[in-house]
This record gives sequence, C-alpha cells and structure tokens, in this order.
Amino acid sequence: MPTTTIRVTGGLLALAAVVAVGGCANRGGTSEDAADYPSKDITLVVPYQAGGASDLAARTLASQMEDTLGQSIIVENRTGGAGSVGLQHLAGRPADGYTIGYLPVETVMLGFQGYEVDPASYDLIGQMVSVPATVAVPTDSPYETLDDLVKAAEENPGSITVSNSGAGSIWEAATDDLGESTGTEFQPVPFDGGAPAVTAAIGGQVDAVIAGISETSPAQADGRLRVLAIFDDQPSESLPDVQTAAEQGVDVVIGGWGGIGAPQGLPEEVKASLEEAFAAAAGSEEFTTIITDSGNIPVNVPAAEYAEFVESETDRFEQLLSDGS
Amino acid sequence: MSPLIEGFGALLDPTVALCIAAGAVLGMLVGAFPGVTATMAVALASGFTLSLDPIPGLAVLLTIYVAANFGDRVPAILINTPGTPASIATTFDGYAMAKQGRAGLALTASAFASAWGTLVGIALLMVAAIPLSQLALNFGPAEMFALVVFGLTMMIGVSGGKITKGLMAGVLGLLLGAVGRDPITGVARFTFGVPELSEGIPFIAAIIGLFGIAEVLDQILTHRRSGVTPITQFGKWLPTRKDWRTMLKPLAVGSGVGGVVGVVPATGGDIAGILGWDQARRASKTPEEFGKGSLEGITAADTSSNATLGGSVTTTLALGIPGDSVMAVMIGSMVVWGIQPGPSLFANQPDLVYSIAGIMLIATVLTLGISLLRMRGVVKLLDLPRHFLWAVILVFCMVGTYAISNNIFDVGIMLAFGLVGLFLRRFGIPAGPVVLGLILGKLAEGNLRRSLEIGGVSNILTSPLAMTILTISVLALVVPPLRESWKRRRARTRATQPDTADRDTLTP
Repeated sequence: MPTTTIRVTGGLLALAAVVAVGGCANRGGTSEDAADYPSKDITLVVPYQAGGASDLAARTLASQMEDTLGQSIIVENRTGGAGSVGLQHLAGRPADGYTIGYLPVETVMLGFQGYEVDPASYDLIGQMVSVPATVAVPTDSPYETLDDLVKAAEENPGSITVSNSGAGSIWEAATDDLGESTGTEFQPVPFDGGAPAVTAAIGGQVDAVIAGISETSPAQADGRLRVLAIFDDQPSESLPDVQTAAEQGVDVVIGGWGGIGAPQGLPEEVKASLEEAFAAAAGSEEFTTIITDSGNIPVNVPAAEYAEFVESETDRFEQLLSDGS
Repeated sequence: MSPLIEGFGALLDPTVALCIAAGAVLGMLVGAFPGVTATMAVALASGFTLSLDPIPGLAVLLTIYVAANFGDRVPAILINTPGTPASIATTFDGYAMAKQGRAGLALTASAFASAWGTLVGIALLMVAAIPLSQLALNFGPAEMFALVVFGLTMMIGVSGGKITKGLMAGVLGLLLGAVGRDPITGVARFTFGVPELSEGIPFIAAIIGLFGIAEVLDQILTHRRSGVTPITQFGKWLPTRKDWRTMLKPLAVGSGVGGVVGVVPATGGDIAGILGWDQARRASKTPEEFGKGSLEGITAADTSSNATLGGSVTTTLALGIPGDSVMAVMIGSMVVWGIQPGPSLFANQPDLVYSIAGIMLIATVLTLGISLLRMRGVVKLLDLPRHFLWAVILVFCMVGTYAISNNIFDVGIMLAFGLVGLFLRRFGIPAGPVVLGLILGKLAEGNLRRSLEIGGVSNILTSPLAMTILTISVLALVVPPLRESWKRRRARTRATQPDTADRDTLTP
C-alpha cells in the first residue's frame, strides 16, 4: 500500500513541521522601527505548562490583545526550573516589544530561592489576574473558624499540619506568613502540586490546606472542605459566606498573581501600545468571564500601579523567604 | 427519561461524531510521536475547544486522551521508543516480538489489549465511580509510600533474570531520581546551578533517550558488522484461538492492576503498565519468556496501562481531583464550561457522566478499528532504507523532545541518555530498572518525607492500608526465592522417594 505509506508519512511529517514551527517561530527581534509597532507576530512567553491556570490567563488575554494590536500573538510555553527558565529567557530577549511574557508571583520570589530571576529585568505592562490564598479544613474538622485553627497552633506550635502545593511555593510562603503574623507556627507539608495538597485535606491526612481560591472554592461548594478564611482585602463572590482573614482579626493579605511584562528597556511608543492593548484586553468581557469561570479574580491594574505592587511584593518576599530559610 | 439514555442520546449530534473522529486521528498521531504526550496534546487542543459547547469539546479532548493511548504503542513495538510514558512496558515484549518477526501479532494484540483495558476502565466508571473514588481518598502520603515501595520490588522482575546488573541499574535510576530540588526543603541537590535540573531530570527526554536513541545508536554501530535484519517480516496479524487463550490471564491481571492504579490519584499508565506486566509475569506459567517476546507480557502491559483511563476519569469526576496529568488539564476546561467535577456532579448531572463514558466508549471502538486497519500502512514506514529510517527517528525524537518545554536542554538530556542507554546495552545491563528508579525514587522520597512531616514514623505504622501493602512488598521479595528452593528440595526428594512424589502429583 504505497499510497497509505505516503499519506501516513506525510501526515507525520506535517505534524513534525507544525510542532517545529510552533516551537521555533518568532525568534525575531531585529531593530524594527518602533513607530510601526507592531509590524509582525508577537511571542508571549509563559513559564509554565500549557493547560494550567497561568496558561489559560495568558492565552485568553493574548487572543484579546490581538484585536487591538492587529498582529498574532503566539504563546510559547517555556517550562522548567519552577518557572525560572522561561523568565530568564524572557529577560534575555531584545526589548523591542516582539517578545512579551507572563509574569507570575514567582517573578518576585525565585530571586530569593537561589534562581537568577530579578523583577528589575522587566518592563511591567499590567496585572490581569489575582489568586488570593485561602485556608481550608476537612468538613469533619473540629476547627470552625480561623481563630480555632490559630489557637490550636498556639497551644502546641508546629502540631497543626498544613498542606501546600510544593516546597518554595507561594502557598508555603502564605503558611509561614500566617504563622508569623499570629506569632505561632504551623507545620507546612509540601506536596507535588496543588491538587494533591487539596486532596490530602479532603482525605483528612493533614489538618488544613492553604491553596488558591480557585482550588478550594469548588471543594467548599461540594461540601468536601470548609474554607475558614480568604487572605484578600475583600470577600469573594465565589466564597460568599467566607470572611477575609482581616475581618477575623488576622491581618494577612497574600496570594498568587499574574501580569504581563517585557524585557527591560522598551521604547516609549512600544510600551504605550502594549499598555493600551493590555488595558482593553484585561477589561474585555470575554477575558473577565473566562477568568471568573475558572475560579480566579480578573483585575486590570495599569503599569505604574503594577510596578508599585511588584516592588512591595519584592520587599515582602525578601523578608518572608530569608526568614524561612 | 433515564440519565443513561439522555447522556448517550446527547452524543447523537453529528458535530460530536465529527469531534470524535478528529480527536481519534489527532490522538493517534500525537501518541505515535515520541515526546508529544497525551497531556500536551490535550492542553494544546483545549485552547481551541473552549469555544465549543461542553459535549463536543469533551468529545475532542477525551478522544485524544483515549487514542493517544493506542498510538503510542506503535513506536514502542516497532522502534523500541515509547510514544508516551504509558507505553514504556510495551517495549519490553513488543520490540522483542518485532525482532522475532512477530510485529504484526504484537501490534494487533496490543490494540486488542489496549481496547479491552479501556473498556474495563469505562465499565468501572459507570458502575462503581462513587465507592471507588472513596478508595482514592484513603491514599495519603503513607499509603502512597507503601505503594511505591511495592513498585520498587518490580526491579527484580524488569531485570530480565540479570538480578545483580538489574539492581545496579535500579540504584543508578534512584540516584538520578535524587537530582533536583529537595521535595520538602526546596534545597537544590546535584543541580550544578542549572535551573532546568531543579525539577529533576526531564523524564520523557530520559526515556526517549534510554530506549529509542540507544536503539538507533546501537543499530548504527552494529549494522555494518553483523547486518541486523530489519523488521520487514510481520508474520501473522491476527491472534489464533490458542493466542487468545494465552492472552486471557494477562487480560484479567492487567485489568485488575490498571483499574486500581488508575483510581489512585497522580499515578497513571506508565506505572500501571510496568506493574501489570510484572504481576502477569508472576502469575504466568512461562515467566522466563517475559521480556523476550512474550505475548502475555505485551497483553498485560497494554491492558493495565489503558485500564487506568477509566480510573483516572472516575477520580476526576467523582472527587474533583485529577486522576493523572491529562485529567488535570481537562478539569481546567471543564471548570470554564461550568462543569464542576466532584461528588455533586453525579447527583446534579448524571447524564453528563454517561455522556463522558459514551464518548470514551465510541472513541475506543473507533480507535481500535483505525488501529487494525491502519497498522499495515504505518508499519510500511519501516521499509525505508535503514539510514533514512534512523534519520527519521532521530529527527522525530529531537523535535518531539524539544516541544516538551521549548528548550534545547531537553534534547541534550535525551541524547545524553541515549549514550547512557547504549553503554548499558553494551554491558548487558537492562534499562527497565533505571526507568523504574527514576519514576519511583522521587515518589518514594517525597511521600516518605511527607508522612514523616505529618506524624513521624507512626504515621506509616498506624495505617492499616500502608502496612498491608508493605507486607505484600516483603512477601513479593521473599516468597519467590523460598518457593524456588522448596521446589528444588522437592525435586530432590522426588528423585529419592518416588512414592511421595506420586502422591504429590495427585493433589491439585
């Protein structure tokens, strides 16, 4: 069957070509005239795998930004090294606006964890998503409020086990932050990902879990977990009956976030067009609907305000992470 | 109307049929492409399916998931390269069969076994999703640790009779598994400041290197001198009645192992395939043939790795916990579609559960059909002159590996492991235990450390489930050599005392 051979081989080679092109496209970045920006495809580097929450936020935003910019935005997932590989790659690209990237909260954490990642290597365009931390316990847990949990930890510091998504993760940092702010100590138990951490709490293997709101709110709705507090400055629609930690007297606001940045040193005009496209995309109904449906909180923070926020976050993690180790 | 009829009825839409067909073709192609995993394919496809309605969208994603677990068998059997990690155990006997001129039988037996495994998994999903999912919740770090220890006892099985060399290889795998950030403290270990190594050695790149690249390098080096006969003889295609009878036991063993492993969260087809293969070897009358082209071996491996699919979907739907990495991606899409996996899904939308089972059912039958029809064409690839074939395999492996994280580093790892694999092969050291050490070492360490953090040693000692699994592990190590020596002693007794021996043969 020679025709079959050709067809099958052809199909496989076409697939190879697609994968190769998808992987290799857009290495560009010569000195294009900033005035006609953008005159070709833009690459958006996501430092995490396709299919995750960061990837969803980045892809949804990218498809909206295409409308304003009039060019295709190609999402490139450069994974590895807890996100540092993609972030370092982004920092090393030419600052011409043809390579932009998704900046997660890890951008301000990795530098204090032995990776060469520095938030100062990026020009910030805007923040589009916020993932407040939440603390939740199994439904049969004796702890009914955040205060119950803190009191139990005070009585016997280090005896309350709290699962999180991994060593050095934002949720482990949140656990340390909760301990420090309440003057006691929780025992963080790092798992290999957010889902196993939540499972451990549902199965009662740990006393509590600290995870993002999108991971705990569905479990609360189903009656598998009881969320005790949300570490944000305002309550969330997806957890209507849950108070913020501040409302319960514990002043902790912490969580994951995601924004868009570019290699430092963008030409003014380019930065302005990116900011404009960003604001339109992050404010679009399609973007806010998809992010809300996925359980996280869409925001639309402009560049200047985002830069201030990143600076304060950097200070916070410098203190939190150097204390921890 | 009953949810069963309603759920299956929703699939009568021609759009759904089209989506399933597209998913099947795409899934088989990505499965056959080493390096491109089902997870990656589903993740990339989910970017496009979000704009569809939930049922057609799920039809594409679930079918890719099912079909990739058929397609990945083809390179495993024909070029010793697992298309995805789920077909690692397929290479053990599949490639050996191909080299014996039985590639045709290996491919069809693999397709039938994969289909059977998938169907058993779907049946489990439809009948016992809720009780099974409760079992999953019992698997905390202590129980996971025990299960992984049991997995480590398989090192002897995958050593292919060379116990010392096999254990050396296993230790190498465990050491390589120690590379990366400490799972509890996050301190870097053996990473030499390379950020790419902080999450450990890239697993898929390593297995493509150990199996596929090592095979190609070996053939390139040996072909002038000895002239390896190319696999152009496929022999017969369809199993005979006798073959079917041989396949019955491994089909049963594989379904059982795969069903259980599938339900346990975060374990998938790779572990299940090896575990099913090893359990079938223990149960077999001809265990010595395993790894040397055993029909039982390939049947058990493929049944088991595909029986995990239903289990993974079950945990995902019934608990809202991803059963494996593909389902983790799929949960993301479901949530955006307004489907919240979890116990309430079965109460509020039982028809959706049946729709999902129905999609997987159709996908399995369709993919089995395509596999049986298309295989003769696919294998013609191997008629290419050897040097072209090697070039094609190398290019495919490199492109696929590059696509994992868009980083040339993974390709380097793949080539380095190709050299390691070549070295092992030349010294007669089996590669299976290296892979096992690499997969399980990390899991064993992480879960042991976690259970120690949670409650010290007593966290393990007080778990009945963990202690049972640990006891079984000890028995799995101790019983075979004891039975062996008992058999030998009995043989000796029989030689000296014929009367007793006669009586013995009467007892069943």
